[in-house]
Amino acid sequence: MTSNLRTSQIDQALLTKKIIVTCGTGGVGKTTVSAALALRAASLGKKTVVITIDPAKRLATSLGLGDIGDLPTDLSSQLRQALIDKGLPPLPESGSLHAIMPDTRETFESFIRSLTASEAIAKRVIDNPIFQIFSREFSGSNEYMAMQRLLGLHQEGKFDLIILDTPPSRNTLALLDAPKLLARFFDERFIRWLVLPANKLVSTGMRKALGLLEKLTGAAFMTHLFEFASALFEVRVQFSANLSKITELLQHHSTSFLLVAAPSRDTAPDALHFVDSVKGHGFQFEGIVVNRRLSHLGACPERAPENAPEYINRALQVLSALQERESLAMTDLEMKLKTLSSGNPSAPICLSLPELARDVHSLSDLLEISQALERFNPA
Amino acid sequence: MTPGPSNHDPLKDALTRSLIFVSGKGGVGKTCVSQAIARALSKQPSGRGKTTKRVLWVTFEDPFRPAGELKEISPNFFELNCEAQTAFEEYTSMKIGIPTLTRILVQNSLVRYLAKAAPGIHELVLLGKVWYERTRWDHVVCDMPSTGYGLAMFQSTSNFADLFRGGPIHSDAESMLETFRDPQECSQLIVSLPEEMPLRESIDLQAFLLRLFPENTPAFIVNRRFPHPPETLQNDSSGVSDQASPLASSPIEYAERRAKLEAFNLRIWREVGLGFSELGYIPPRPNAPTEDRIPEGIVEALAEELIRKEVFTK
Repeated sequence: MTSNLRTSQIDQALLTKKIIVTCGTGGVGKTTVSAALALRAASLGKKTVVITIDPAKRLATSLGLGDIGDLPTDLSSQLRQALIDKGLPPLPESGSLHAIMPDTRETFESFIRSLTASEAIAKRVIDNPIFQIFSREFSGSNEYMAMQRLLGLHQEGKFDLIILDTPPSRNTLALLDAPKLLARFFDERFIRWLVLPANKLVSTGMRKALGLLEKLTGAAFMTHLFEFASALFEVRVQFSANLSKITELLQHHSTSFLLVAAPSRDTAPDALHFVDSVKGHGFQFEGIVVNRRLSHLGACPERAPENAPEYINRALQVLSALQERESLAMTDLEMKLKTLSSGNPSAPICLSLPELARDVHSLSDLLEISQALERFNPA
Repeated sequence: MTPGPSNHDPLKDALTRSLIFVSGKGGVGKTCVSQAIARALSKQPSGRGKTTKRVLWVTFEDPFRPAGELKEISPNFFELNCEAQTAFEEYTSMKIGIPTLTRILVQNSLVRYLAKAAPGIHELVLLGKVWYERTRWDHVVCDMPSTGYGLAMFQSTSNFADLFRGGPIHSDAESMLETFRDPQECSQLIVSLPEEMPLRESIDLQAFLLRLFPENTPAFIVNRRFPHPPETLQNDSSGVSDQASPLASSPIEYAERRAKLEAFNLRIWREVGLGFSELGYIPPRPNAPTEDRIPEGIVEALAEELIRKEVFTK
């Protein structure tokens, strides 16, 4: 972050990409990494926005803010101040930093409205009790809305770079499958059955099956479901068109996917699985950020100094085991990434970031991590 | 263990119930902790002659485990990877009772689509399966999903119960919720790491669970506690936040700062008066073989720690 800035691989990505999607399981520090990358992009002169979907408001906390809303919050002046406080060069004229935490419910409603010109149809969907619960809880809806917001922001064109911090999940790739999950609702073969008048074209078997289902669920649920399905049926064409737009955007060469992981024995297998899936969807794999590394601490001494409290020796044992696991994980990962990149002109990035000894609470802390990017990954 | 009247240890209480839900944020070690609890329970005397308790450990739709099948891990300790389609078929066959009619229903492509896609049904059948199993075992220990708060399953069941008014699903959902509310039958365990975010989220999780099940106060476990000095020597954690750099520069400095940081973080629970139990950081053995992605030895070590801490009622 100095005037003689080294253009490392990640800077290259931050300078050339329009969208970077960060994926990873819970607890790996995805939100912090995404925010630190956004900070760095801003310092490189990019108009940057980071979107995070997180019920725990981690981004707001780690930025030292009470709240971030559905509309972009401009953090440039805070960033300028933090740069001054740290005695770092000022933010380039063109650079800016924004953050968004979409309200998924709001986004879901405006999404439905955007699919139809008719307020009556939109209301039929939105007022349906199934939709009401669905929009709050459906596990894929967060992911889907994240991408919906991404598409909207991209179309507005106000930012050079959008960093999308995906919702935490066990499955790193939940995000990639979300559109398909939601698309199931819009599966025409099935919706058609639900909206057809019961007396037309419905086979005896189908009528029987629906009758049995109604016995189980009660008549009211089936009525709501038919109503929900028929309202969705009205917007299915626009939905599919929207889905293709999102897919197209994610497949574009200026969009790429970054995996954030913590060093463990699962790192390499997870990374390979991620690469396969990303490529399978026709997306670009940018690389992996291995966060929470402990190697920068140096090797653990066999024993603590004699005057050290007893717990330090036990802590060193755990720490040393963790470092050993990390070193094996990194060897494994580097080997696997090498095989991946053989014959591939654009080798995937493999970045490291250190485990922190306290939590991140301000832009100034994030700046330090952003600088650690450079220190831990010399060009 | 946090000191307290021994007969009111919340964890001890929680582990006496027949249905134990283990919740928490992703990455806190719910799978290992819930398995360790199940394993340790399966070594406790059943009160029926010389046998030990029969325990079922349940996880939901884990892509790395075979779906829908009971698997014996060790004597009296079974695993089930609960899967919606199988659970739905079992449930409907129980409700309809007539095999031909059941087949008409479950083999119908539209019904299969609805069972999968229609919100509510999915969560309901998964929890329903667990609810049903509880009568067949001494304990059922559930590794709850972590997406969001992992609460969508309870919330959904509660919300959708209303929509299913007039059918048998409605009354089953009501009975299910009745069981989940009952502190004699069911307990909620919240697992966290001694890190700020998971600790804070656990408090939100507790509030959420209490809204749904007001009588059933969750018990708390902090997992992977780094070795630390006795808490009494550790009242001064004031220095944690003013450390200039978030980075430590040597192993010993890291060990000291981490112990302080964790003690400081745990104030988040202490400040709101939460009692909790601790499980230590089991040092990883990087070359140990794995089973279902869990390194061999971790679950056993955690189970031994639980038994050592005497969290089981004799």
